[in-house]
Amino acid sequence: MNHLDEMTCLLYLERQLDRARAQEVSAHTQDCAACRTLLRALERESRLLTRAMFEDEEALPARLAEFQERAKRSLQWIWALAFGLAATGAYALYTGYIEPWQVKLEQAGFGGTNLLSLLVFQGAFWKGWQSMITLLEVVALLTLAGVGVAFFRRRIRRSSVLALVLAGFCAVLALAPAASAAEFRRGQSVEVLPGETIKGDIFLFGDRVRIEGTVDGDAYAFSQDVTVSGHVTGDVIAFAHTLRIGGKVDGNIRTALNTLIVTGSVSKNALIFADYANLDPSGKIGGSITAFAQSLNVEGKLGRDILIFSEHIGISGTVGGGIQAKGGTMSIGATGEVDGPVRFEGKNPPEVSSGAKLASPVQYTKWEHKPEYLNKHYYIWRTIWTAALILFGLVLFMSLPEFGRETISAAEQFGAPIGLGVLVFFGVPIAAVIACITVVGIPLGILALGIWFLMLCCAELVVGAVVGSWILGRGGSSWEIVGRMALGFVVVRIAYTFLAQVHVLGLLGGLGIWMWGMGAISLAFYRRFQPVIAPGSPSGPFTPPLPPNTTVGGVQPA
Amino acid sequence: MSAPGKTEPTETITRAKAGDGEAWGQLYREYAPAIFRFCRRALATREDAEDATMEVFMKLRDKLGQYDQSRSFTAWLYKVSANHCWDTLRRRRIRQDKETEDVDSVPLEHPDPSQLDRLIEQRTSEEVRKALDTLGARARMALVMRYYSDMSYDEIADALGVRRAFVGVVLLRARHELRRALAGKSLLAAGGAS
Repeated sequence: MNHLDEMTCLLYLERQLDRARAQEVSAHTQDCAACRTLLRALERESRLLTRAMFEDEEALPARLAEFQERAKRSLQWIWALAFGLAATGAYALYTGYIEPWQVKLEQAGFGGTNLLSLLVFQGAFWKGWQSMITLLEVVALLTLAGVGVAFFRRRIRRSSVLALVLAGFCAVLALAPAASAAEFRRGQSVEVLPGETIKGDIFLFGDRVRIEGTVDGDAYAFSQDVTVSGHVTGDVIAFAHTLRIGGKVDGNIRTALNTLIVTGSVSKNALIFADYANLDPSGKIGGSITAFAQSLNVEGKLGRDILIFSEHIGISGTVGGGIQAKGGTMSIGATGEVDGPVRFEGKNPPEVSSGAKLASPVQYTKWEHKPEYLNKHYYIWRTIWTAALILFGLVLFMSLPEFGRETISAAEQFGAPIGLGVLVFFGVPIAAVIACITVVGIPLGILALGIWFLMLCCAELVVGAVVGSWILGRGGSSWEIVGRMALGFVVVRIAYTFLAQVHVLGLLGGLGIWMWGMGAISLAFYRRFQPVIAPGSPSGPFTPPLPPNTTVGGVQPA
Repeated sequence: MSAPGKTEPTETITRAKAGDGEAWGQLYREYAPAIFRFCRRALATREDAEDATMEVFMKLRDKLGQYDQSRSFTAWLYKVSANHCWDTLRRRRIRQDKETEDVDSVPLEHPDPSQLDRLIEQRTSEEVRKALDTLGARARMALVMRYYSDMSYDEIADALGVRRAFVGVVLLRARHELRRALAGKSLLAAGGAS
């Protein structure tokens, strides 16, 4: 008698044979003990398999038990923070900047409905940008508060947290913008007369603007020709064809114009966008000069440094600090004196008179437009840095393998880490600086900056690990993960080397990698601070959903 | 492949589809243990299974809209999980190919029915679980899909990317591999039913 083969028996048991063949098998097993035994053994094997797989009720790991709540909470936290910051930022922006400026510009005759003029003039007021720091401070403080709440949430009751957050928001919203008295003058020729004193800021619009009296605040001038021969206790912000400073300015000058001539004194710094700027022999600037100009001549006295990008820079006066210049030509005359180092990167070597008094010889670098990637040193250094960072990643991963795995796992989610990365990338440095200055103290600020910098260094490695696992599949052991991280990191570095040559793409790519990696590390940190449910704790009203249908056989053998 | 004695959570699914977080949580609490166990059996390590479970539910969140409520939710969920686990294993192609090649190259042995029967009788669930952990990826995956989640041959063929007619062979080879792991290399090689 020919016996049934095992495949036929298995297919019969699993009801995979057609009716005719199943009947043949059934009939055969009526008479054949060996085949009956085989069928029974296979059936028992099926049951044993099913039982083995369903037994051993491993408790749902704590990580999974909390996953749903955690995912929900983490999203809530991120979204709440993001929306909170956005709402506060929008509110602060409107009440602090847009609304007051709208009023002022309307008073000045520009009208609040002309959005373009509003944007142009608001953007142009450098003083306004400086004030943006206040907004950044608010955002940073809120970020810090968010991190603090997340950290201490285990110790604070939910209602307390809610009250704390609400109180914080109320406090922020209740902060009324500082009242500022400002005066506006318009006309063909606008003047602050000698002997006249303006209390607060003044905005001057006209073909000719003269400040011969005293402005006890900032002076904003929009004109063809601006002359300051009086006294301004604040800053001078001018958008003009020509600006002459013959009087005294206690603050800074910030200008965008064609010609700047300083014959008087400016106590602080000068930020200059100009074709031509000249510090006359009688002129004095107490701070430093930052300039983007066609030509800058320093014949008078400058208290501190010069940072300049210009076609020509000439020094025949005194510079109290150093000079960092990039441009076409540089000349230092016989009466020139520079107390700090002079670095010049230009097309032509600097002309330095033998009578010039320099603290050290001019360090000249020939300005070459050779792209970075054509320089072999660029590749050597990139290779060295790549190897060093891989080694760094290896040490870090071996020191904290669990955290490393969690970070890589977090990085694979994209959305949440990148969103969080944006917050951390911008928020932490600001918060740390503020902590150093005002809030908690220098140690905390420095620690936060240190951690931020460490995260920045690791970000590319984290992204590398994800890319590596895309290429080779997810690694199980630590060495497999490290290997993937090294491979992915090299791939990312090579890709970025090419991407970096395209300026905007390079910048965006770099920022993206940093934010992604930093966000993943932050997310892993955040998850570590989550309350942990004990592994044995019940995970819900679970009843096994599937005792599978293990019925075997069409027609049971005898 | 419906769950006997268990009704489909139709209302919960509808609410979860509509974005109800609580309903989603309920589905997770109810099904995560089963899916974790599935992944635990299909994948090599506990960590992999935890990752896979989370990833399956994250996928599920996106795919829930595609779920046809006229079908069994449990079956659909297992199918998603099986596809995910197999994708995970397939991404580790180098190692896996080696394993499956080795196994496929071994000719099917014809077992002695009595000997097989005795072997099955003597083995405990724990021994079977340990033996399962030593199997190649495809063999383990096939057995888990068939004998844990009760997937049909069509579904297994679809998940593994093989022809339906080949599923029986895959399962039988997997059983043989399991027997070798349970009994030592050559216990069942001797003898035959014919």
